[in-house]
Amino acid sequence: MVFHKTSLQKRFRKLKNRGDLVRKIEKSKADAYFREKNTYMVIYFIIWAIVSYGVVLIAEPLSDVYFNGFPLHYFMGAQGALAVFIILLFVNAIVGDKIDKKYGIDHNKNELIGRGTTSNH
Amino acid sequence: MDTQFIVSLAMILATFALYIGIAVLNRAKGTSEFYVAGRGVPPLFNGMAIGADWMSAASFIGMAGTIMMLGYDGLAYIMGWTGGYLLLTFLLAPQLRKSGSYTVPEFIGDRYKSKAALIIAAICTMIISFTYSIGQLSGSGVVIGRLFEIDARLGTMIGVVIIAIYAAFGGMKGITWTQVAQYLVLIIAYLVPVIFMSLQITGNPLPWLSYGEVVSKLGELDRELGLSEYFAPFEKGSKWQFLALMFTLMAGTAGLPHVIARFYTVSTMKAARWSGAWALLFIGLLYFSAPAYAAFSRFILMTQVAGSKIAELPAWTKTWVDTGLLKVADSSADGILQWNELIIANDIVVMATPEIANLGIFVIGLVAAGAMAAALSTAGGLLIAISSAFAHDIYYRIIKPTATDKQRLNVGRITIVVATLLAGLVALNPPGAITQIVAWAFAIATGTFFPALVLGVWWKRSNSKGLISGLLVGLGVTLAYIFAAKYGGFTILGIIDTGAGVFGAIAAFATNIIVSLSTKPPSQEIQDAVINLRYPEQMTYKDGEVYMED
Repeated sequence: MVFHKTSLQKRFRKLKNRGDLVRKIEKSKADAYFREKNTYMVIYFIIWAIVSYGVVLIAEPLSDVYFNGFPLHYFMGAQGALAVFIILLFVNAIVGDKIDKKYGIDHNKNELIGRGTTSNH
Repeated sequence: MDTQFIVSLAMILATFALYIGIAVLNRAKGTSEFYVAGRGVPPLFNGMAIGADWMSAASFIGMAGTIMMLGYDGLAYIMGWTGGYLLLTFLLAPQLRKSGSYTVPEFIGDRYKSKAALIIAAICTMIISFTYSIGQLSGSGVVIGRLFEIDARLGTMIGVVIIAIYAAFGGMKGITWTQVAQYLVLIIAYLVPVIFMSLQITGNPLPWLSYGEVVSKLGELDRELGLSEYFAPFEKGSKWQFLALMFTLMAGTAGLPHVIARFYTVSTMKAARWSGAWALLFIGLLYFSAPAYAAFSRFILMTQVAGSKIAELPAWTKTWVDTGLLKVADSSADGILQWNELIIANDIVVMATPEIANLGIFVIGLVAAGAMAAALSTAGGLLIAISSAFAHDIYYRIIKPTATDKQRLNVGRITIVVATLLAGLVALNPPGAITQIVAWAFAIATGTFFPALVLGVWWKRSNSKGLISGLLVGLGVTLAYIFAAKYGGFTILGIIDTGAGVFGAIAAFATNIIVSLSTKPPSQEIQDAVINLRYPEQMTYKDGEVYMED
């Protein structure tokens, strides 16, 4: 548990002791990683809000437009918004992997570390 | 005993044998396995397990009926119960996974370094999950009672025994693989009748593409009868109620402890994002189909049932009239059943439609088995959440830190049995309709955990005083609004009790921020640990520097 004071320090010492396996990276590089992820997240949330809350706000005028037999506002509520949600989640998963790769994140390594975080329980 | 009874019973027993068999094969051994399945569940299967956990009696039995009754206004449930996965997957799941906690209260206790916060969070978890599980148990009681033609209360008791046994002995590991099986059973049980009805009515085997025409025809039928059109927006509630309900269901999704707990069973942050994506795809299969189910049911009732002679109504009407959930009253005394003389309860639409449409005994039995899978799988996840909140967060972390694995496991099992029995007792005489109880659980999660977790993960300045006051204010405002709206007729902008979460969330965010800013910031250690959550497992943040393991 990274929040335990002792475990964070213990873990860090462990990292130091393994010296050659750990290197300091530019803080700016790590921040760029964080910013890039967040930029995409903001875009996803804007789309998410438009297809759900935005469409509901203008439901009345949309009900005169038809799509595949449905009034458009009904189509968006029953299928359109949900389809966009699913697509956004898969886009996020794929783009997230790409960003990880770009910053040299190794998934297998993460898996080992991830398992390690539970060992003190 | 008629053939239908034997077929339905056989299908339910066969699926139960499957779930229990899987649970027994996977019987948990150590604590880590019991709670988070040893953290090795692949995303695709974890997605199915999340789906089964997620889709409860309310989704399976209640939702299509609700949409049929509410028309467009019912679609707030479709968007709300799916759109929340974006909040969860983007804002919380990967970060909570990196924190390495076992449970939501543990995360809150460690993030804020406060035992009081841990206890309050554990109590909130128990309130939310307990409220939710009452709805599931009473749902399973209705299905079992209806099926065996016994009192629903006896049905609830049977459900209590079954769920207590396999949740207590299987643990999460048993339940993960059991839930994969349950997902498959419930999705097949839901899709088969929709596809059959689509073939019957439109000749097209793809209901999702074909039912648009049916929706438009329903509007025409309504116009002829002088009713408001099926798809007309905001006929059953204000636009603000629609938006508030949708927000409450979305944010509640991101704050439900038993759903978040699923994301602790994956190995990495990457696996957490993929699990979220797979989960919504699998959940979406049912949610895409529910409005089609609703439209086909309403179309069949309007065109094939309404207008027939009262004396010549088919056999299915009698069985359902006997349950008190269907009423046919010839108020115009013309010997013909008119559409407005047919009063059908939301909760029987999914169960009764296969009978109405004459889909055959196997489909009807399959739907009964699917409904049981939905109710029991969700109840299982909820009970694990209650059990870990007590056994892990309160007993192990607060009462007895020296407890052995075995003691903790036993306390966990006892908690499951006690919680199931208590929930079962309340379910014998539920305080409201199933969907209403479930909506309250979401509103409470929206008013408590959603703000607490979002600020806990994204705002390092949030401190324990802010968190505790935020949790208490959010809980208080949400509960007060639910009671004031339900019993006092108090509403703001037409928002009723089901949309209460929006007020709880606003109050909790504001309280947490204001109190945090007017008190001391958290220690550097905590602030560093919060920044650390931004990066993947390989990167560690420490004293303003970032280290990377290669």
